[in-house]
Formats: sequence, structure tokens, C-alpha cells
Amino acid sequence: MIGAGIKRGTAELAVLSVLQEGPLHGYELARRIEQQTNGALRFTLAALYPMLYRMEQQRWIRGSWETSANGRKRRCYRLTPAGKKKLTPLRREWEELFGALQRLAKAAHA
Amino acid sequence: MPDWQELVRRRLSGLALDASEKEEVHAELAAHLEESYGMLCRNGLPEKEAAERTMEQVSDWRDLQAKILIARRGEFMRKRAQQLWIPGFLTFILSTFFLMTLPKILGAHPRTVESVAGTILFDVPWLAALPFIGALGAYLSSRAGAARAIVLLASVFPVLALAAALMLMFPIAMIVDPIIGNHVDFRNVATELLKVGTSWFFVPGAALLTGGLVVSLFFGLRSSQQTRWLDSEAKDA
Repeated sequence: MIGAGIKRGTAELAVLSVLQEGPLHGYELARRIEQQTNGALRFTLAALYPMLYRMEQQRWIRGSWETSANGRKRRCYRLTPAGKKKLTPLRREWEELFGALQRLAKAAHA
Repeated sequence: MPDWQELVRRRLSGLALDASEKEEVHAELAAHLEESYGMLCRNGLPEKEAAERTMEQVSDWRDLQAKILIARRGEFMRKRAQQLWIPGFLTFILSTFFLMTLPKILGAHPRTVESVAGTILFDVPWLAALPFIGALGAYLSSRAGAARAIVLLASVFPVLALAAALMLMFPIAMIVDPIIGNHVDFRNVATELLKVGTSWFFVPGAALLTGGLVVSLFFGLRSSQQTRWLDSEAKDA
């Protein structure tokens, strides 16, 4: 079973990575993550917003209200310099973890 | 189409946040549900089924409410403890410790100063130690990322705690004294307040604040330099 820490780390990495491409509001962010991971990562509203608010408190992302072209007000999130700084080591940690797991899986098959 | 704003407002009515912050959360979540519902409808789902599927995103609204509260307030409380309460109580403990031990160690007696309010006592070794204690409180608070007002509050915390105790003691004494038959002279109370305030609040407060201000100015300069550096990094990225 995947632990809460790993789940949280994955989710944070996904959010930071997608926001690196540009600012997005919550719904679009969840949709983009689902598309880019071919449905492997899905965020419901209940999972997404507590995490976004926590990441905002940690100042990795910043939310601000914006009015879209169709006049709807949406809260858009963008990556902060602190978020950018967090993304690099986080990505490296995950690459190392998955690299290690892949090596382990290969060794088990051999 | 369901009134998502009203639905979220009803389900998260117990969200213990400021009115404006609460309204912001309601609006944001309602917008998300509306988008989900709209997308499901555009994908050909009947309205009723789309609404049900949309609502499936939240299985437990109470749990969501608690999680949002922890996310928005939990971090705030943790930071407040690191930025104010821990440095504040540390300065309070240190100042009390030095007040009790320094005169004994140095064998110094409190100095008396005559004023219009009468004789005011000053514990000079203790007062000399206070700027350093205030600076320590301010340093710990600054290191935890506190704003300047919180940094200064952490540095003068010992006198604030003392002032709060005095605020409680004087009214209680004024109620209790007549009950036990002591005459209360308001002129004496005012004079006593002035004396106690000067020797235990204003002068020690100024000493603590001096240390706090020095550290606060130093950290202020450093953080503005860091911000400039981060901004230039962000522009380069």
C-alpha cells in the first residue's frame, strides 16, 4: 500500500510540474494532470483543494482571482519562486525513487 | 442546473474561517463543481446523472471541511507558534531567570531614582541583559519568517506578559480591598501604577525593544537583498 507521504509527494510534484507550464485554476489543473498522466493520477475536488491551500500556505503556489474571457471569475494558481526552487529537488527525489524501483523490478525478473 | 454556490455554502457552513475567506472557498469550490457538471453535460450525460457524478467528488463534506480548515489554519497556527509564542515564552523565561539570578551573582542592589511619583527601582544588571534577550527573541522570530510587527512583539513579550498580569492584579485588588476593609485611595493606585509601569514595563520594554529593533533591521535588510536576488533569478528562469 502506498503511504500517505508518498501519495502527497506525488500529488505535490504533479501540481508543481503542471503549474510550471503556466497559471491554471483548480478544475483545469486537475484536468491537465489527468490528461498528462493518461488518467493514472486523478484529483477529486476533495483531494485537490486542501492540497492547493496547503501548498499556498507553504508559499509554493499563489492563488488570485481572475476573470476569464467568458466573464467567469476563477481562482488561478501560479508557481512562486519558492515553488520553482522546491520543484527541482522534488523531481530529482522522485526520479531517484522510481529509478531504484525499476532496478529492483528488473532484478526480480532476472 | 443545481445552485452550486448555495449547495457548497450549505455543506460547508461550519467552516471556521473569516467571512471573506470562507466566501472565497465557497466560490472556488462551487466554480469547480460547476465546471465538472458542465463538462459531464457536454459529454452527453443527462443532467441528473451529471449532477450525481459531480457530487461524487466529495464523499464526506465534514471531512473536506476539516481538511480545508487544517490546510488554511493549521499552517498558520504552526507558524504563529514558531514566530511568536516560542520566541516570546523563551524571552519571558530568560528575562525572569536573569531577574532572579543576576543581582545575586553580581551582588548588585537595585538602584533607586526619585521621581514625582516617588521612588522607582531599577535593576541595572537585568536591564543591561534585556536588549540581548530581546534580540534573541527577535532573531528566533525572524528566522521563522515572521513579519516585522511579530518580530518586535516577540522581543517585548516578557513585558507584555507582565503588563497583562498587572492589568489583572490592580482591578482585582481594587475590588478585594474594600471587601476586606482596606481603604482604596485612587491617587495612590495611580501613583503605584506609574511607578510599577516605569520600572517593570516602560524601561524594560524599551531595553527589550532596542535589541529587537537591531535584529529586525538587520533581517529586514537581508530579506530585501534576498528578495531582489530571487526576483532576478525568477526573471532569468
